Amino acid sequence: MDVSLGLLTNAVISGLLLGGFYAAVSIGVAISFGMLDIVNIAHPAFILLGSYVAFIGNSVFGIDPILAAVIALPAFYLLGMAAYQVYYVAFERRDDQSLRGLSFFFGILFIVEVGLILIFGVDYTSVQAWYGGGNLSLGFIELPWRLLVPFLLGMAMVAGLQVFLSRTFIGRAIQAVAQDQQALRLMAANPTRIKRIAFGLSFATAALAGAAMIIIQPVEPSIGREYIGRIFAICVLGGLGSFPGMVIAAVTLGIVESLTSTFFGPSWAPAVAFGVLLLTLAVRPSGILGR
Amino acid sequence: MPTSAPEPLLEVAGLSAGYGKIVVLRDVALTVGAGEAVALLGPNGAGKTTLLRAVSGLLPRTGQVKFAGRDMAGAGPGDTVRAGLVHVVEGHRVFTQLSVFDNLLLAGYGLPRPELTRQVEEALAFFPEIAAKRNDRAVTLSGGQQQMLAVAQGLVRRPKLLMLDEPSAGLSPVLVDRVLAAMVRLREAGTILLVEQLIEKALAASDRVYALARGSIVLQARTDEADLPNRLEHAYFGQDVSAPLAS
Repeated sequence: MDVSLGLLTNAVISGLLLGGFYAAVSIGVAISFGMLDIVNIAHPAFILLGSYVAFIGNSVFGIDPILAAVIALPAFYLLGMAAYQVYYVAFERRDDQSLRGLSFFFGILFIVEVGLILIFGVDYTSVQAWYGGGNLSLGFIELPWRLLVPFLLGMAMVAGLQVFLSRTFIGRAIQAVAQDQQALRLMAANPTRIKRIAFGLSFATAALAGAAMIIIQPVEPSIGREYIGRIFAICVLGGLGSFPGMVIAAVTLGIVESLTSTFFGPSWAPAVAFGVLLLTLAVRPSGILGR
Repeated sequence: MPTSAPEPLLEVAGLSAGYGKIVVLRDVALTVGAGEAVALLGPNGAGKTTLLRAVSGLLPRTGQVKFAGRDMAGAGPGDTVRAGLVHVVEGHRVFTQLSVFDNLLLAGYGLPRPELTRQVEEALAFFPEIAAKRNDRAVTLSGGQQQMLAVAQGLVRRPKLLMLDEPSAGLSPVLVDRVLAAMVRLREAGTILLVEQLIEKALAASDRVYALARGSIVLQARTDEADLPNRLEHAYFGQDVSAPLAS
């Protein structure tokens, strides 16, 4: 195996940028699973929905895919609030959320996927944007635009949500709600309303993550399933409830996958990535920055 | 000229409550007057925590609860808090991943920010020990400090009545003294209903006492009455202590 410094550097850089994208697709589950204890296994399907919304905005209206996702944010937010309300009434209120709630989201996953197939077909779809190709050259380092822009988007999403959670009333309440709902009720806060808002935010991130995904690669309705394991692995590896931990985990996984793909072939990448997860959890069961 | 006694701040009459089919409280009645410190004592399983939960709206109940002249029928925890009746639950349950200051801000959920900041500072003034750690995460505090933070959370809303559920639970004797010393300061500032298992310390901090056993009030007395600890012990074991015991 011929390892050149340039090849190694570019593999690491690509992995770092890929990690930023992984952070973008994982942050919604970091909220729903990490903070609300809701196993929303359908999240990747809504990311795909976001991809197709970006595609429609780009191909039909000629607007930038990320801008299309931003325009769609309120709709995704409301969709998330509605989904939580159904989940709460049907399962959480009856303390039935563990298995039946999971089944609920499995069903949603397949309904969304089949819906996308029926509307868009099974062929790969992509968008057109100035950052869809080409590299930003920094000396001997090449930063592909199609990776760099999703990376920046992912970092902006994480930073924005971190500020929201730490600086606003609702943000603090979201951090508190998973820990002690009864104490929150005694502070005149409504835990159900807080969780509904948080779940709406989780869905809203799917719109932007979807735009990031369709920029990085062409999409078809079933590729969301490739991300289910990866997303939950990143959230667990980073430590549930920790955004910085999630980012570290996402970047770690991105770099490991990139290095593995570059030097050993892409087939090994998922196995090595999950191997890292298992090793880390064996040493630190709560995750990298878990509490 | 005869004057009628002032209306109690909290009036509980005929209250029954429990968990599902398990009835824990039967026909409980008690009052707390404005400016008083009242202790609610009782052995494990007597229903003390259940009583506070029923009064604060966390549990469904039958019977009547009147607070500051208002019938609290159907009131949930949010309504109760907004009416000025604050319940600090047992177990120094604070939000460990938030800072001390953020814990207190959250306790004032819904209050306008300038007013809230002022009230948070007032609450911190009762507990200089945790005021010094306002930017530290609550998980870094000791058990006693977390309990002080939990009580400070209760004070943020300037309650008319503060109900404290076993603030000394799980604490070492030194920390118990520190927390209960804070109770003495609180007593000067407002009305308190204190649930405790430490009889002597609770009596020292209170004006009146109720004893709860097997879901019913078995004794009520002023804390300066004669032979009270002995009467409490007898009340816990089911003996009639409505009058001072014969020697």
